[in-house]
Amino acid sequence: MDILIGSLAAGILIGMVLALVALGLTIIFGVMDIVNFAHGEFLMIGMYTGLLTAQATGVDPLLTLPVAALVGFVLGIGCYALFVRFLLRGPMVAQLLGTFGLMLLLRNLTLLFFGAEDRALHHGILVGKSFELGMGVIVPATKLAAAAFSVLAFWGIWLLMNRTKLGKALTATALNAQGARYVGIDTERMNALAWGIGGATVTIAGALLVNFWSVNPYVGLLFCMIAFAIVALGGFGSVPGAFFAGLIVGLITELPGIWDFVTYTFDVDWMSQVPMTSFKYMWVYVAYFLIMVVRPRGLFGWKH
Amino acid sequence: MEALKHAVDFSDFKRIDLTVAGALMIFFIVFPITSHSSFAMSTMIQFFMFSLYGMGWNTIGGYGGQVDLGKAQYVGIGAYTTAVMLVRWDTPFWVSMPIGVLLSVSWSFIIGYPLFRLKGHYFAIATIATSLVLKDLFEVWNFVGAARGLEISPIDFQPPDFIHLIFKHDVYYYYVILAFFIIGLLYMNWFRKSRLGFQLRAIKDNEAVAASLGINVHWAKIKTYAIATAFVSVVGSFHACYIKNIEPEDTMSLDISILIALMAMLGGAGSLWGPIIGAGILIPIKSYLKEWLGGMAGLAGIDIIIYALIIMIISAKEPRGVWGIIEKWRQRRGQN
Repeated sequence: MDILIGSLAAGILIGMVLALVALGLTIIFGVMDIVNFAHGEFLMIGMYTGLLTAQATGVDPLLTLPVAALVGFVLGIGCYALFVRFLLRGPMVAQLLGTFGLMLLLRNLTLLFFGAEDRALHHGILVGKSFELGMGVIVPATKLAAAAFSVLAFWGIWLLMNRTKLGKALTATALNAQGARYVGIDTERMNALAWGIGGATVTIAGALLVNFWSVNPYVGLLFCMIAFAIVALGGFGSVPGAFFAGLIVGLITELPGIWDFVTYTFDVDWMSQVPMTSFKYMWVYVAYFLIMVVRPRGLFGWKH
Repeated sequence: MEALKHAVDFSDFKRIDLTVAGALMIFFIVFPITSHSSFAMSTMIQFFMFSLYGMGWNTIGGYGGQVDLGKAQYVGIGAYTTAVMLVRWDTPFWVSMPIGVLLSVSWSFIIGYPLFRLKGHYFAIATIATSLVLKDLFEVWNFVGAARGLEISPIDFQPPDFIHLIFKHDVYYYYVILAFFIIGLLYMNWFRKSRLGFQLRAIKDNEAVAASLGINVHWAKIKTYAIATAFVSVVGSFHACYIKNIEPEDTMSLDISILIALMAMLGGAGSLWGPIIGAGILIPIKSYLKEWLGGMAGLAGIDIIIYALIIMIISAKEPRGVWGIIEKWRQRRGQN
């Protein structure tokens, strides 16, 4: 039983962080219909920012969040102003391959500067500590804090989108860019802002993730695909959708634990033969494919 | 017979294009006789392989406008079918290659049917997902060597083995892939003038109008997807015999899928020469940059940085590719 509850708890906690990873992707897609392949690389840059800032200044990794957010914001706006702006005129294939080029560029620049080796944080207030939730379930403090900060960031973005004039302008641009221009919204600035917010949220997620996940220049692709799955499940362009879909995908990544639970509880022989841990992320892709085919709009989507 | 006549009929191109193409073809045929490094030889073989991949992608992606980013899964199916059958049962290439094509095309029908209900971005990302699922499966499947992959290690190389396509010298591989290249080019020349080719261009322009003209849009896309798959699978089988060591990571990774799409787009998607021009530009850049710059200490990845910059510039500035630039230039000159 404790395996099951442990897996569920771990899945929900990691799901909250994954949801924050996907948030930026869904905002960018919602506002301007562009799929950002470089999203995983933004996350990787966020992870490096958190790690290097913490190591250079000696402060706790959790205090590096504002630095990461600033780097992400500047990075997002920079990418938009210098590059993505020119892609919007072209056909879809150019947009897909263009952001893929951006992904290769960022990944290999990181490789050039920081090398290919894995890096991890070894110190910090929370690193190595854990809470016991009862029933034998132990939760690392870093994951708990990361999940809490993710929820906080989500709440902030939700407020921004629904309670401020800026958020209304963003939503208007997403719904109908031409109409938004008619009522005097500078859609070009809104696009840049969407990239800025998208970049900032994902680098925050990176700085949270680096507390318990080692980083190398190739870490981005996995998260990029997971983020695509979350966005597809939640619906392209939907903020609450991203949150709930993140939880679901988090649980999917913990399927091996649930599988083990069923295997040992009911003593199913053939189930113990299956190397479930090797398939950990395959289920995310399978789920993603099925969602795309059955319900391309996603659970909360309004774009199609 | 009619089809053959269409395949060898290039008369709708300008004379200058045909002169350049003819000169290049003569160069391709005599290239192994001239003095060359073995590195240049392997670059040429890579060029032909990627031209063929690009031609396959061009049917569905270029003429049909459906951005497919999952072609690597068929490279994998083709390569693994040939490698497994060769290693385990000593099956000739000419038997295992058609079986590989059959498996790839069957798989393409299975996933193509649901896939083509999607459009645009949704289709593109879903193709990536199917490719990654297959790669993950191959990485844990012990029968095909899991993540270690398979190695074809011939005991002796004595006479050139045209049955199994195992050679010691690259020159034999060169002529085999050149033959495939010429067949592929002729097929593509027929394809663009075929009924399906015209149907696809109509679908690319406007699906609703195409459907109203009585084209079965869904079926036309699935058929074309299968054709593209067959191209990729054949070259995948060749890849297994040529490289002799295949792993999921370098036959089925996302990078391969993207590279295939990029070849066609850089040269000019939806034109006969596009994928060849694209491969002719990218493959030498990629392998020579890697050789010259990647080897230097502390410059790991710089080849891909330059290559990424090329992708970014071409997609932002001229999405119609090199062939688009040539055509634009010709139009402008024609007006004056």
